[in-house]
Amino acid sequence: MAPATQFEVAQPPTDAISALAFAPGPASRRLLVSSWDKNVYLYEIGTFEHRAPVLDVCFGSGPEEAFTAGLDHQVKRIDLATGEQTVVSKHSAAVRCVVYSSEHSILISASWDSTLHVHNTANPSQPPLAIPLPGKPHAVAASPSKVVVAMTARLVHIYDLPTLASALASPQQPPPTPQPWQQRESSLKFLTRAVACMPNDAGYATSSIEGRVAVEWFEDSAESQARKYAFKCHRQAAPEEEGGGDVVYPVNALVFHPVHGTFASGGGDGTVALWDAEAKRRMRQYQRFPDGVAALAFSADGRYLAIGVCPGFETGMEDYSGEGRTKLFIRELGETEAKGKGSK
Amino acid sequence: MGKKKRGHPDIEELLARPWCYYCERDFEDLKLLISHQKAKHFKCERCGKRLNTAGGLSVHMNQVHKETLTSVENALPNRQGLDVEIFGMEGVPEDIVQQHNQRIIQNFYTAQAERQAATGNPPRGQSGGQGPAKKIKYETPEEIKKRLAEHRARVAAQKAAAANGVAPPAAPVDGQSPAQGASPFPPPQPGYPYPVPGAPGAPGMPPYAATQPYAPPTAAAYPPGPSPPPGTTTAPFPLPARPPSGAAAAPGVPPPYFYNGAGAPPPGYPAAGASTVDELVANAARQGGGPGGVGGDDIDQLIRMAEAGIKPPPPAGAKAVAEEGAAAAAAGGERKKKEMRMVYADTEVSPEEKMAMLPRYRWVEEAAA
Repeated sequence: MAPATQFEVAQPPTDAISALAFAPGPASRRLLVSSWDKNVYLYEIGTFEHRAPVLDVCFGSGPEEAFTAGLDHQVKRIDLATGEQTVVSKHSAAVRCVVYSSEHSILISASWDSTLHVHNTANPSQPPLAIPLPGKPHAVAASPSKVVVAMTARLVHIYDLPTLASALASPQQPPPTPQPWQQRESSLKFLTRAVACMPNDAGYATSSIEGRVAVEWFEDSAESQARKYAFKCHRQAAPEEEGGGDVVYPVNALVFHPVHGTFASGGGDGTVALWDAEAKRRMRQYQRFPDGVAALAFSADGRYLAIGVCPGFETGMEDYSGEGRTKLFIRELGETEAKGKGSK
Repeated sequence: MGKKKRGHPDIEELLARPWCYYCERDFEDLKLLISHQKAKHFKCERCGKRLNTAGGLSVHMNQVHKETLTSVENALPNRQGLDVEIFGMEGVPEDIVQQHNQRIIQNFYTAQAERQAATGNPPRGQSGGQGPAKKIKYETPEEIKKRLAEHRARVAAQKAAAANGVAPPAAPVDGQSPAQGASPFPPPQPGYPYPVPGAPGAPGMPPYAATQPYAPPTAAAYPPGPSPPPGTTTAPFPLPARPPSGAAAAPGVPPPYFYNGAGAPPPGYPAAGASTVDELVANAARQGGGPGGVGGDDIDQLIRMAEAGIKPPPPAGAKAVAEEGAAAAAAGGERKKKEMRMVYADTEVSPEEKMAMLPRYRWVEEAAA
């Protein structure tokens, strides 16, 4: 059986991790990490300093291009080969998420100013298309044809990427504001924490601050919607002396395995669990990490899982700092470690 | 009695099933349990090797993967520890065994009560109020002889007592009681809350034999008295100790035990015999089919409820008892509303937004400019 090993990255970011991204391309091992210490780390190459904490990072069209979302309202493009940084667009509040769709060469950034900016990366001089949102976005994820935006008040908007692309290409000035393809309410009763789309474009998973994950399908037919479900996870029984019951942790990260279609969740309890969405089963749960899991990423071939570990922000924290406790683990998965058994 | 095998296993079968300490699942036989434990709890997550015990897995992880095992996988929250060495049913702490048995017994009687409430059938070994009459048919010549001998002995005893100046313990004994005395178990009466299980307590099941089967979690529901508990009754009753039916019960002898439905029920009897509302309803449903000697408004109401198909409220009493053994409650998968505490509970503002407000991370445009 293939070895399943895990190692800790020697020089983790010096403060909490906000996002992780593996470079596209089957053999790529390149890992980008954005951090509250104002740096974006490209492992095995170096770091790229920003003015402010970086909330999200993603790769662009290739392993040499990256986009970052900054607390300083800026979306930046980084040329990883030269280290050159260019501001792609400016929001009026901190930028929470960036996602890149390689299928449509579109970069989407979501900001706490309650807008989405859609950028045509093929033509950087073109101003981004701004789409107003009904709430502050907290998580964005892209599938081959859709973008799922999770906002406050449990709102979920799903945009169709081809529609966004055609709106960008529209000769009309200013271009028409695209409408969401679907507007949904989150299946979870609490603030959405993370969104991840299935690689086969069939649906997506969301997680909330209340230790729960929901799996839904894009298709709007009744039978497809009947398939959706949610389950509890990342909870711990509290000791009796503290009154018992459950301590419920937020589920901070969700990622789908690019090959097997299973997904991993990372919670504030410091565990990472692998789930089989089809069979509705937990396949495995890894040993507890020293702090909460803030971010997860699978490599493009699904061989590696990067796990960003840092203290989670909890209710009532006045002086949060991830300094000294932030760690980055890379786990090499066995051949079948993330392979589901299929539905039974 | 050559009764048809029902779909519901009886309590001995349930208690005899091997079960898994880590997840409280029970299995057909020990082999299945052991393979379950190897696959679910003692399997190495690195290489898939199945070990026999948690200790074995710990050593394996240490030596092969240089890792330390901290908890048993897939185990209930309070059973993840490595300090108990479990193999099959071996090594399970005695108190956990007791908790498990209690839970099984409680579930069994709850399920039984529900079945009876749902079907309206009388409990096993009892056919709607004609038990005693039927019993007589089964009498063999030996039994009749025995009865006669006992009757003679009693008459002799009464005479002897009368000669000593003591009043006879009972008015002329009716013809029915000897039949009762002849069988090792008193024939089940309509008023008897639960049937006497087929065999006296199976060996190795101390909690079962010790607690009263018809009120599993609360031994106190059955007032202690000289009469032996039903599960352990072996010999015919010492006759003088037996209260004459209908007359005042001897002190300390629980009336429900001999209550045969002919006389007025002692006040408060159903409450004393049943520990949960479910059982009350079940009793009521059963009594509804028996002789109409049952009085009491609350019982009538319960019968009406049962007939109308109104689900009684969840058995609060049983829950409270289950909570006493806190570990057992969690382990038993009690579907009660769990207290929960969220480490991050703001449903409007994300943790990132709060972090962004901290001086440590706050972005001030002018500062950079």
